[in-house]
Amino acid sequence: MSIETGIRRTLALTGILACAAVASPARAETTLNVCYINHPVQVANVAILEKWAAKQGIKINKTLTSYSVYLPKITQMLSSGATDQCDIVWNNDDWGQDLAQYLEPLDDVTNARNAAEGQLEPFHNADGKTTAVSITTTAGILFYRTDLIPEADLPKTWADLVKISQKLQTEKKVKWGYVGGMSYTNTFFSFWWTLWNNNCDIYGPAYERDNKKLAASGWKPMIDSTCQIQTAEFWWDALNKDKISPPGMTTYSRDEANAIFQAGDSAFTVADTTFLGTFNNPEKSTVAGKVGIARFPEGPMSTGGRTWIDIWGWSIPKTIPDDRKVAAKKLLGAMLSDADGQIEQWNQTGGPPPNTEVWATLEKNDAGWRKLYDILFKSAHVHDAYYFRNWSTVHKIYSDTMIRAMKGSRADIPQVLKASVDAIQAGAATK
Amino acid sequence: MLLLIAPAAVVLVCFQIIPILVGMNASFRDWSLVNPLKTWVGLSQYVAVFTDPVFLKIVLPNTFILMVSSVSVSLVLGLGLASLLNKSFFGRPLVRTVILLPLTIAPVITATMIRWSFNDQFGVITTFLAYLGLPEVAWLSDRWPSFTLVILTDIWIWAPWFTIILLAALQGLPPEQFEAAKIDAATPWRTFIHVTLPMLRPVITVCVLIRSIDAFRTFDQVYILTGGGPARSTEVFSVYVYVQAFVNLDFGRGAAAAGAGAIIMLLVGVGLYRLVNRTMVRSR
Repeated sequence: MSIETGIRRTLALTGILACAAVASPARAETTLNVCYINHPVQVANVAILEKWAAKQGIKINKTLTSYSVYLPKITQMLSSGATDQCDIVWNNDDWGQDLAQYLEPLDDVTNARNAAEGQLEPFHNADGKTTAVSITTTAGILFYRTDLIPEADLPKTWADLVKISQKLQTEKKVKWGYVGGMSYTNTFFSFWWTLWNNNCDIYGPAYERDNKKLAASGWKPMIDSTCQIQTAEFWWDALNKDKISPPGMTTYSRDEANAIFQAGDSAFTVADTTFLGTFNNPEKSTVAGKVGIARFPEGPMSTGGRTWIDIWGWSIPKTIPDDRKVAAKKLLGAMLSDADGQIEQWNQTGGPPPNTEVWATLEKNDAGWRKLYDILFKSAHVHDAYYFRNWSTVHKIYSDTMIRAMKGSRADIPQVLKASVDAIQAGAATK
Repeated sequence: MLLLIAPAAVVLVCFQIIPILVGMNASFRDWSLVNPLKTWVGLSQYVAVFTDPVFLKIVLPNTFILMVSSVSVSLVLGLGLASLLNKSFFGRPLVRTVILLPLTIAPVITATMIRWSFNDQFGVITTFLAYLGLPEVAWLSDRWPSFTLVILTDIWIWAPWFTIILLAALQGLPPEQFEAAKIDAATPWRTFIHVTLPMLRPVITVCVLIRSIDAFRTFDQVYILTGGGPARSTEVFSVYVYVQAFVNLDFGRGAAAAGAGAIIMLLVGVGLYRLVNRTMVRSR
């Protein structure tokens, strides 16, 4: 081969390579914006997403939003059809029904349906397809101080809770017996766990969440019922007469209540299981290593304990480009298939793994899980929200009514509760 | 000339006029954030707001109590501090800087600091009051203590604003009248009442006008300190609008509430403008 031929061939090869390079440019990195709040379990789950994103050549942009503005912000984004803000959004059963029309069906995500029975229903769209995959199951649980209360002496009833609290307060072992969030959107950690454990609910029939059945019953508010009055009286006494809870508790969010428990000033609290990791973190909690979990004490009308369990999930807006939808689904599928990552999430936060198949591993190896499972999943359940358009309005009316009852005289409680019957019924009627 | 005002006009149209028109349009429609049907509903949103007992019996009274008390106390404090800072004394620049500090901090941060200072469990002030043996007050969970805190926080933020403006006005007053008062052997108090205050009247009136309009739309302090609670008892106009639009996700009702507030403020503003004009005429 002459030098001239060699040069020609080299030039030709270079030309071919250059054309090939132009024809198939380097694959652009996909970027996914994940929008969520700064909650321990979401942070832990995003860490799993980041791990898999790195493996899949996806860049994750994390957009943290304050809890108080998250819902209006995401709702506005979805209903306006924005395509450039969030590719994966945190979704909650409370508003899952409202947003379902704007979200991509996710049945084709690997392991999407491996959730506890009935848990994905609040996220179903009109076609019965899920619009969310699980991050974790959120469930409230009673936390107590194991150094102060032996397991055998745990309160079974509200009266027990008062008695044990007052004993510990008298002995100066704690400042308060019980703290829990009570302000609007924190209703679960005081009013509602007691309500649901006193054979009671917001609408009758109690614990029903099927809108058709509730409508057939006339969306009958239970706020003036005996079981509700007992619940209100229990909290009024806790704040004002028995003084097992701080009088300012009506203003507490879960953050303030958790802070008091973590400071060692309270014997009991109710919070999401996802705070177990925080309570047992010595850097954040003076009671780390001394925190146990237990069943809710029951009220005088209870016919058996009841827990609320609901899913927090990830969803994908319908309006984002198809390539990002595909990437987001693949990423969520990888998270749901990552048993080690989900177990790490459980170990860090106390948030149950999103894929129920992973639960079997924990059942074999983790005594803490077995206890939690026993408390949460082997009892009757209730969804912690209703699924109609004005639910947040009704929730606020309920919260305001109960707090008004707490601030008035005990004798006025039935009257204060009765005054809200029409507003609560109207809230559902305008769904 | 038109070209000179064009940039400002464009900004005004884009960020004031158009949003106001969009908001007003929403107030006549069924505009849920979740499902924005945007069907025309006439004045029904306004009727709902003006017949809402919470708006009439809690929100409006609270708003005007906050406006009147905050503006009047801030004015008195600001005037006192301005008079003090108008005299020369050792360390005056330092005192002036310290007094102005609250104005340099965002109201959200100030309100957050106050909220934690008065926290019933961990608050510095509640702990100090308990140390003094004073009875416990549920500062943030009862209506009047928490609303008093809202007013005090507003005064804390805005008294320095009155101070700085009134101080500038004081320093610009002609000295002849004060010299004449001194020759007439007027006491400092009589000089203040009969010389200083009348000359400051136009500035005071403008300050009161601007602050009153501003106080009517106070949001940050109330939202952070009480969120309008307990049980909506400390809710003011802006928080009411927020609840309608961002808690109930009803933009139509929220926009109507904002429109209702604008109508009310327009009436109050016209009254105040007349007062300003009368004062200006009298002081000329």
